[in-house]
Amino acid sequence: MESFRATPTFSFLLFLFLSPSTPFVSHSRPKGLYYSPSSTVTTFDDFVMPASMPSSPMAISPAMPTPSMFKKKKSTNAMSTAASYLSAVSEADARARVNKGSPGSTPALSLSSSVTTSSEDTVLEESDDNASGLYYPAVPPTSEQTFNTVHTEFGHCGNENYRYTSHHTPGEPIAGVREQDPPYYVLLTTYLSYILVICFGHIRDFFGKRFKPSAYRHLMVRNGYAALNSDFDSFYTRRLKTRLDDCFSLPVTGVPGRTIVLLDRYSSDCNVSFHPTGTKTRALNISSYNYLGFAQGNGACTDAVEEAVKRYGVCALGTRLEAGTLDLHQQAESLVARFMGMEDALIASMGFATNSTIIPALVGKGSLVISDEFNHASIRFGVRLSGANVRMFKHNNMESLEKLLREVISQGQPKTHRPWKKILVLVEGLYSMEGSLVNLPRILELKQKYKFYLWVDEAHSVGALGPHGRGVCDYYGINPRSVDILMGTFTKSFGAAGGYIAGNKNIIDRLRVSAHTGPYTEAMAPPVLTQVVASMASIMGVTMLPEKPASSSLSLLRSPDSTDNAITGLEATAYPGTAPSSALPPWMHLPQSLIDGSDGEMRLRRLAFNTRYLNRALRKLGFITYGNDDSPVVPLLLFHPGKMAVFSRMMRTRATPIVVVVVAYPATPLVTSRVRFCLSASHTKEDVDCVIKACDEIGDLLDLKHGDGERWPLEEIISRAVELVNMKHVP
Amino acid sequence: MSGSAATLEPLFTFLNYSYNTFETNFYKIPGSAVVARYVKSSHQNDPGRTLLEVILIIFAIRTLLQSRTRADHSGKHFIQFDEKEIDDLVDEWIPEPLVYPLDQKEQADLASVPVIVGPNGPKPKLASGKTVVNLASYNYTGLAGNEHIKERGIETLRKYGLGSCGPPGFYGYQDVHHQLEQDIADFLGTEAAIVYSQSFSTISSVIPAFCKRGDIIVADRGVNFAIQKGLQISRCTVRWYDHNDLKSLEQVLEMVERERRKKKSPLTRRFIVTEGIFDVDGAMSDLPKLVELKQKYKYRLILDESVSFGSVGRTGRGLTELYNVPATQIDMLVGSVANGLTSGGGFCAGSEIVVKHQRINGTSFVFSASMPALLAVAASEGINILRNSPSILSTLQENVRAVRSILDRADYIAIPSHPASPMIHLYVRLPSATFLMPQTPATPFTPSLPSLAHSPTSPSFKLSNPLSVAPRDPPVFDAELEERLLQDVVEECLAQGVLVTRAKRLNQELNPVRPSIRLALSAALTKKESEKAANVVKAAFTKIVGKRR
Repeated sequence: MESFRATPTFSFLLFLFLSPSTPFVSHSRPKGLYYSPSSTVTTFDDFVMPASMPSSPMAISPAMPTPSMFKKKKSTNAMSTAASYLSAVSEADARARVNKGSPGSTPALSLSSSVTTSSEDTVLEESDDNASGLYYPAVPPTSEQTFNTVHTEFGHCGNENYRYTSHHTPGEPIAGVREQDPPYYVLLTTYLSYILVICFGHIRDFFGKRFKPSAYRHLMVRNGYAALNSDFDSFYTRRLKTRLDDCFSLPVTGVPGRTIVLLDRYSSDCNVSFHPTGTKTRALNISSYNYLGFAQGNGACTDAVEEAVKRYGVCALGTRLEAGTLDLHQQAESLVARFMGMEDALIASMGFATNSTIIPALVGKGSLVISDEFNHASIRFGVRLSGANVRMFKHNNMESLEKLLREVISQGQPKTHRPWKKILVLVEGLYSMEGSLVNLPRILELKQKYKFYLWVDEAHSVGALGPHGRGVCDYYGINPRSVDILMGTFTKSFGAAGGYIAGNKNIIDRLRVSAHTGPYTEAMAPPVLTQVVASMASIMGVTMLPEKPASSSLSLLRSPDSTDNAITGLEATAYPGTAPSSALPPWMHLPQSLIDGSDGEMRLRRLAFNTRYLNRALRKLGFITYGNDDSPVVPLLLFHPGKMAVFSRMMRTRATPIVVVVVAYPATPLVTSRVRFCLSASHTKEDVDCVIKACDEIGDLLDLKHGDGERWPLEEIISRAVELVNMKHVP
Repeated sequence: MSGSAATLEPLFTFLNYSYNTFETNFYKIPGSAVVARYVKSSHQNDPGRTLLEVILIIFAIRTLLQSRTRADHSGKHFIQFDEKEIDDLVDEWIPEPLVYPLDQKEQADLASVPVIVGPNGPKPKLASGKTVVNLASYNYTGLAGNEHIKERGIETLRKYGLGSCGPPGFYGYQDVHHQLEQDIADFLGTEAAIVYSQSFSTISSVIPAFCKRGDIIVADRGVNFAIQKGLQISRCTVRWYDHNDLKSLEQVLEMVERERRKKKSPLTRRFIVTEGIFDVDGAMSDLPKLVELKQKYKYRLILDESVSFGSVGRTGRGLTELYNVPATQIDMLVGSVANGLTSGGGFCAGSEIVVKHQRINGTSFVFSASMPALLAVAASEGINILRNSPSILSTLQENVRAVRSILDRADYIAIPSHPASPMIHLYVRLPSATFLMPQTPATPFTPSLPSLAHSPTSPSFKLSNPLSVAPRDPPVFDAELEERLLQDVVEECLAQGVLVTRAKRLNQELNPVRPSIRLALSAALTKKESEKAANVVKAAFTKIVGKRR
């Protein structure tokens, strides 16, 4: 294996290897469609089992590659390039390690007692094949444990040690982003590979235009029409992104929960078009925004949504101000306000549009928006629509913000030097590409001094952070009302769609009337609202009013401060309190585990554990990652654009396929291409182990371990996971 | 003299030494000899040139070191303050409140928004406990509450969960989305389609995906708010033509072409942006003529069918079906899944290239989670139902005719909408013709058919300024008064058991929009019910507006 450890030159060459001009194939391709050109491939064809051969899930022999090493449904795997060769080797290696290293963990095929009756829909037919380890838990459940979730949607994890509470210890300095620089040769080769690919692209364009004009027709002036997209504008997309296109926009089906089902596809024209092979692959899903694991086809929230579809249908018919307001909207809004600890809240039917259509209602000409440089596209869209002036400060850099504030307030508006009407600072709670948390305490100090208004976009942090899941304010123990506007989405933590704005009553009322969402955009659909209400209530816990106070035995599971308050309805309004039963629609009947909040608490604590575990484990392995330890978004730096494709493909073609998100320029700075993991409460510790193992192997092959700090061997990390998570500081 | 030379002695030695070191090090660099020779010979030939080159090098270094961002510090408007002064200025500065509280009228407006308890549909129950006939919600096809759709929705829910939990690029693109896109493309007869998760954000993302700075857009003066926002964000050159006036359009196209020839500017992308049925007043575009013009002048057409998709045509395919124009002739056909198919989201249909381009460049497609699977399936089912039961649209058209025949003859109502449009705008027509009613035929609120209204009856037809969004003779109306009257009509209708709504607009619209009541008819109501409701509306107008005079 060591011979494959990537040297700088090698990793830099990978990108070239993987150019579509070499016939790379995605991992599954129908048999007979493809003849491999290279003779080395034939040796590897021996690995591959014909699709028709029955496979026994238990037949795993370490000595030789066996049929079960690939998933049953997978057909001919043609290894024509270095990448496929590498991934095959890594897979074989992984297989060998699994069998040598952990004899205790035999793949248990116990049919857990827990799978609910309606699970046929979500569990695929081939689920008797547990070769990938995705269908059944590695450790069979004991008789005391009952799990009422489907393991492929929401993993079974009964071990109470694998829990943690996401919080910030007051007084502790807030670490900025630990930006580690890679060795210079990595940077140099990264730039070189970009230059090379750009050169190749231009050469191909040059000859392509002359020898294959039909392929360029739509990029040229034709018939009196200017090109819709000129060859220059689309260069990056055509010549760089296309090379990695098999790693993006993979079609999927089923619940995007703990696992996800990929619809396999192949391309015979170098990623220009893709064709379905008709097969499916179930993969461990470490990519979807499913922080609290509410993406479920089964369970109490989904039951509530089903009831809502039966009662309300699927559409609210119209805009909020023009006969599209349902009672559900009002109930959801008041619940959101209570959840966020704000006076009032407003719900919009699309997360992107929450930013892009509401910011213009707050600021306009003569106002200044100060925006973090890494803010999401929706914020930029909204700011551009508002017509306000914009200034940016360095990502999460409070000195830069303060310097900018001093400058803009003292200078006033450009040219006229009139004072600004108002200044709105726009930050995100958790940055989705960086994994960094906003330094909210410092910003609030600055807010006191410089009198700006603060908008915190909690798209990723709400639900995912804080001991009660209320987002960054909860995480830092800050009164949410010290922030003017809390914005967030329901897509990520609540398994729904759309977004909200929470703030003072007069702000929200103003937005109802003056933001684009009120009169022009469709109201949120009733099933989505129900999912929001049910999932949010289950995180908060519900106080039965007034005759049935929550029984104390059950409320023990909740944090002590809310148990005390949960008795009376009046005190339930305290933040972060429970939801009164009156806030829920009368027809919504939630089971006890949701009402007492134990289910929500379990989700929060599992997410917090998984998050901290993966973050710290990757650092202990020597990877360069960005962001906070408590951030469920974990970016792992790859640097090389070529490594992105290889990383993604190797993860996807492992014995336990894992799907990952790779991002590069323009979503990130040019040299810091990265892979981004999004953890979920639905992952078990074994799932995170699996990701760590995969990263370890691939990281060795791709020469990714450039981080400094103490390193632990893989086995130690896995066995000392609990200790690692509970450590105050990681040396 | 010698004293000073003695003191300078160490300095000279140092200079000499450093010059020597520099020289030896310089000659160690490969290729340095060539440089030295070049400098020497050029200096020999032309000493002035050395000076010039040294200045050039210094200038180049300076330019490189300068920050590339807008240099606000060095700008001539920058005033230098010391820290104390800045502190004072910070203390002095009093910002405006983030928002101004609602005034009384706005509060009343907000309070008057109807709240529906339980499902919305043709006859919803309001918070007051009253069951009303709904002429306000978008349910043209009457698919809301369809049991089959609900069933399929629940099946989908069990299989996919609710949310898609990710943008389309990152595992959020489910097979149901693909299916819906195909269904829409097949239904309309285009090569492909792309689905966005909110209808408002569709066109405001489609326009900037294609139109960049320097491109030319010729747009109708009455386009809806979403288009206005799209135009604003695209930063391209916009030329305006009179609302739904294709003569004016042709003149503008002619003018743009002349301008281009005169300037000899290179060919840029050119688009016509308009709507099928205008959201602002219900007028309908003359599609065949529009297509003819677009082809003649070689423009691409972005047609917003948010209102017309699912509401006109034999099976609800929209304007293309109504006028029998192949949808392939329209480059970007944008529509609403939320209104047309009573689900959620919007779509853009067009050629394969157009759609593929948006998958990477459509901001609100790329950066937003894809729509819940359940809504996608509901929309696909909706298309199926429309395709198989043309009776839905014929019922709707019958209702439209029935309602129009009642309201067209009403004394106090002016209708700018097209007779086939199921979205009907009602303006107040005050009884005295002189009162606030300039009888310009070009203004859209004459009761006559819009197609007639826009033929220039006055011989001295003059073009409005295409550079400005404001029309040459803007309609004159007393917005405040009309709004008040219309709100009274809405409340009167509600008291009589008919739910109607004013068309709510923001004052950020480019042109002031005349207040109206917007009816949205539905195939879910019978002809009798629709007629009855229309009579209630008519009576309410008579009662409220008639009483005034």
